[in-house]
Amino acid sequence: MNKTIVAISTPLGKGAISIVRMSGKDALKIALKFFSCANKIEPRKMLLGNFDLGQVKEKCMMAYFKAPHSFTGEDIVEFQLHGGVAVTRMLQEKLLQGGAVLAQPGEFSKRAFENGKISLDEAESIVDEINSESEGEVKSVLSASSGKLFEKIKALQESLTELLAQIEVSMDYPEEDEYEDVRETVFQKLKECKKQLQEILQNAEQARFIKNGIKIALVGKANVGKSSLLNALVGENKAIVTSTEGTTRDVVEASLDYNGIRMNFYDTAGIRESQNEIEKIGIEKSKKMLDEADLVLIVYDGSEKLNKNDENIKKIIKKPFISVINKQDKKRSIEKQENEICVSALSKQNIEQLKEKIFQTIIKKKIDFNGVVVTNERQLQHLKNASSQVDNIFKEKDQSLEILSMLIKKVWNELGKITGETENEDIISMIFSKFCVGK
Amino acid sequence: MKEKFEAIVIGAGHAGCEAALALARKGHKTLLLTISLDAVAFLACNPSIGGTAKGQLVSEIDALGGEMGKIADKTAIQIRMLNRGRGPAVQSLRAQADKEKYHLEMKKVVENTKNLFLKQAEVVSIEIKGEEKIVRTAVGGEFLAKVVVFATGVYLDSRIIIGSFTENVGPNGFKNAKQLSSSLLNLGYKLLRFKTGTPARINRRSINFNNLEEQKGEEDIQTFSFMTKKKIANKASCYLTYTNLQTHQIILENLDKAPAISGEIKGIGPRYCPSIETKIVRFADKDRHQLFLEPESLSTSEMYIQGFSTSMPAEIQEKMIHSLAGLENAEIMRDAYAIEYDCIDPMQLQPSLESKLHKGLFFAGQINGTSGYEEAAAQGLIAGINAALYLENKDMLILSRSDAYIGVLIDDIVTKGTNEPYRMMTSRAEYRLSLRQDNADLRLTEIGRKVGLVDDKRYKQFLNKKQKLKDIFSLLNQKLKNNQKLIDFFEKNNEKPPKNSISVKEAIKRSNIDAFKINDEFETFKDFDYEIINEMNLIVKYEGYLKQQEEDIQKLKKFESQTIPEDFPYQKQKGLKIETIQKLSEVKPINLGQASRVSGVSPADIAVLGVLIKKYKDEVNAKKRTN
Repeated sequence: MNKTIVAISTPLGKGAISIVRMSGKDALKIALKFFSCANKIEPRKMLLGNFDLGQVKEKCMMAYFKAPHSFTGEDIVEFQLHGGVAVTRMLQEKLLQGGAVLAQPGEFSKRAFENGKISLDEAESIVDEINSESEGEVKSVLSASSGKLFEKIKALQESLTELLAQIEVSMDYPEEDEYEDVRETVFQKLKECKKQLQEILQNAEQARFIKNGIKIALVGKANVGKSSLLNALVGENKAIVTSTEGTTRDVVEASLDYNGIRMNFYDTAGIRESQNEIEKIGIEKSKKMLDEADLVLIVYDGSEKLNKNDENIKKIIKKPFISVINKQDKKRSIEKQENEICVSALSKQNIEQLKEKIFQTIIKKKIDFNGVVVTNERQLQHLKNASSQVDNIFKEKDQSLEILSMLIKKVWNELGKITGETENEDIISMIFSKFCVGK
Repeated sequence: MKEKFEAIVIGAGHAGCEAALALARKGHKTLLLTISLDAVAFLACNPSIGGTAKGQLVSEIDALGGEMGKIADKTAIQIRMLNRGRGPAVQSLRAQADKEKYHLEMKKVVENTKNLFLKQAEVVSIEIKGEEKIVRTAVGGEFLAKVVVFATGVYLDSRIIIGSFTENVGPNGFKNAKQLSSSLLNLGYKLLRFKTGTPARINRRSINFNNLEEQKGEEDIQTFSFMTKKKIANKASCYLTYTNLQTHQIILENLDKAPAISGEIKGIGPRYCPSIETKIVRFADKDRHQLFLEPESLSTSEMYIQGFSTSMPAEIQEKMIHSLAGLENAEIMRDAYAIEYDCIDPMQLQPSLESKLHKGLFFAGQINGTSGYEEAAAQGLIAGINAALYLENKDMLILSRSDAYIGVLIDDIVTKGTNEPYRMMTSRAEYRLSLRQDNADLRLTEIGRKVGLVDDKRYKQFLNKKQKLKDIFSLLNQKLKNNQKLIDFFEKNNEKPPKNSISVKEAIKRSNIDAFKINDEFETFKDFDYEIINEMNLIVKYEGYLKQQEEDIQKLKKFESQTIPEDFPYQKQKGLKIETIQKLSEVKPINLGQASRVSGVSPADIAVLGVLIKKYKDEVNAKKRTN
């Protein structure tokens, strides 16, 4: 009966390895939707294979523990991977898409206890675990309350409550003539809610940027000046700059603070077919980097016309990007590019403008730095769920009011998982305070 | 000499009658005491049964083997289905009941039920002597029983108010119960003071119907009881009128004389049933309020003015009524009044409606802080059943929120309490889509059978319906052949015709097509009657949503299956917040599901509680084994 749960079991961003753990009867089924390996799946065996993340496959280890011989007493699947925060998140996201649900605080231990895997003496430690984990969440909500995000979600819940009251009053008081036609108002208000939700999500994304910074990948064919551009941006000789093709093999990270936002730059090896083994690894890494990046700077040599390599690179970019036309100091021969900015890495021309453009592209509007709040994984997930649930309602436009009400309540409940309000007792109060009903 | 019974029910209103009938029908010698034999099952306020959510309650009472649905069908003089244009879950029957006949028919049933003894007496005190309860009446009578059901309605220390006039009586001037409140206080119960009201009654002949909109009943529609075979004939109409600026002016000029607003009335009134003066003060921007004129009975000319309850002085009431269109010359036969009364805080009850304080004492109806005939009858039935089960030493019947509106109602009041007279609404039921009026029998007949209130005739009919449903569902995979007839049918209904043949089920799922249309065209369901086709049609149309709801229900059931031992020592638990411990030890929830609904208890608290309870149970079991 228990749903299959998933969680990232290691602290994000700390430690070299992250572990994502899944428990429940569908654990293996969900895992194998994405994981493939040459060996036969056997319990209690570490298997090396590939996890399909969509655009890339991530090499990782998988271990399967068959019920009841596992920590929770249920089927467990664990993934160990080397990836950073983004890859770990993506892996978890995939498992959620595959049918798992996010684990509640302390839920793995709780299940272990329920299945008799943890002795009575340890029950108290589980209680502590549940309490401390949920307190952690409460704290992040509380810190949120100092900002705008939490308030915004609350406000959104309130307008949903208002909407629900309006629907409910028309159904519970069908004889009150003036509350008859609510459908139009409902969708109008839902549109507003959708807009607010999008704003909150954007805000949450931005909040994530504040916490973790923006990941910016520099790509471009070899020798267009990526490394020099990086150096110009961060003002130190971090990347090795030579004019021999293929000197940048490692993905180099350099950071700067701009308007309070941490911009993390990743230089990539020039992507081209390569025979050199070491360089090939570098190129694989570059491709993965592109997947993780929030923004891509495609660097062109402005003094040359586009060639096939440039075109190939353009094709693989699926993320928001800026076309950086380098070598502004030379005569321009390149065709006009989408979302372009001309710079010179060598003479540091337009570098500040580039930073501002990056900022504008990602942080679409001005951030209220006192207001935006860091959201944790779970909150982000609930927001995303709520957003897709609202989209769903628009697909069910013709349904009867009670169905619409049911769907809107779902959204409310999803948001309630963030604000901690689990039961909506306000609908009925609102009915009586806003509407004149009754005999 | 003390006369001995198995059970005593105090009060013969809608709750008391159901409780007493359930007890007696289950074979227990039952005494039903009423303050006036003329007030048995009296419709003290509007002459109507059903309405949104309440219609569902009546059908649920019926499915469990209660009486209200049958009497409502028998005495209805008009019937309508509310919310017809909306989804199936919020559709509810509403009937105008003949007030005189309703009282007489219910009294007749009570009088003629074996094991049931109806007697007029004012109860003044209850004494508990071990297992025995002694019930004493004002004239010195003493009755003994193992269980007592309190169903005293609004009669406890009640007082009616009309302007500055007040009188210590019950509704409609019936005698009230003056001493029972203090007996309840002595037994340790916490009392609340609530208020409600009823509008004036006017003589039909004095109404000018010329400009009033008539509201007729609907012919040939369903009934409340699954056992009623005759359709209800519409014999009377209701009429609509509205307040106007002049009415509002009169009220505003005399606000100082309105006891509810001047503070003369201290009881808490229901927000959903505001007096007209409250409506006008609170919703000042509205320039009119809708009113219904409802017939009280075929054997009287009295008409009830729904929406116009007030506690204004009689002379002001007259001015107010005469300002209404059609009522310019209305003859007022009974004045509107407000009524204040004592009730208990329902959080002192278990979900079985047995008191937490004393074993064998049950409470039902308005004494529990609810309002409405249907709400009262529902509780009466459950209290009666459980009082009987108590006598039989069996497990209590507790309906879940996913079983019935009755379950929602009782769970709400015992878990959260109420700070105003509680009225049932569909918005209170989170599993509303599954709790429809049409499927009340499918949900509850089996339970009623197990309890012993469903007779063979009803049970056979239920099994038959189930079989018919099975049969009709087996037709759904049939294919409709892709020929010109099918194409025409789809096009006629503005639906894109299928490329190949299509199953009946898929066809029903199309939004502009339903099972009835298919039956009209292809005679697919010609062997089935309306009720069965309708049921199947709903289930198919709402399949996806019902499934979603079913998932939620399963989650609830999982919580409900984790019972909390009665003696679970909350105070000794580490890991629960102090305020959580306080709240939980007050409510004493019977399972994790109920615990999760106690106000202020968080999901994390429930997770912790789940662990602690398992630990406690395991330890108790371990101890038992070593002993």
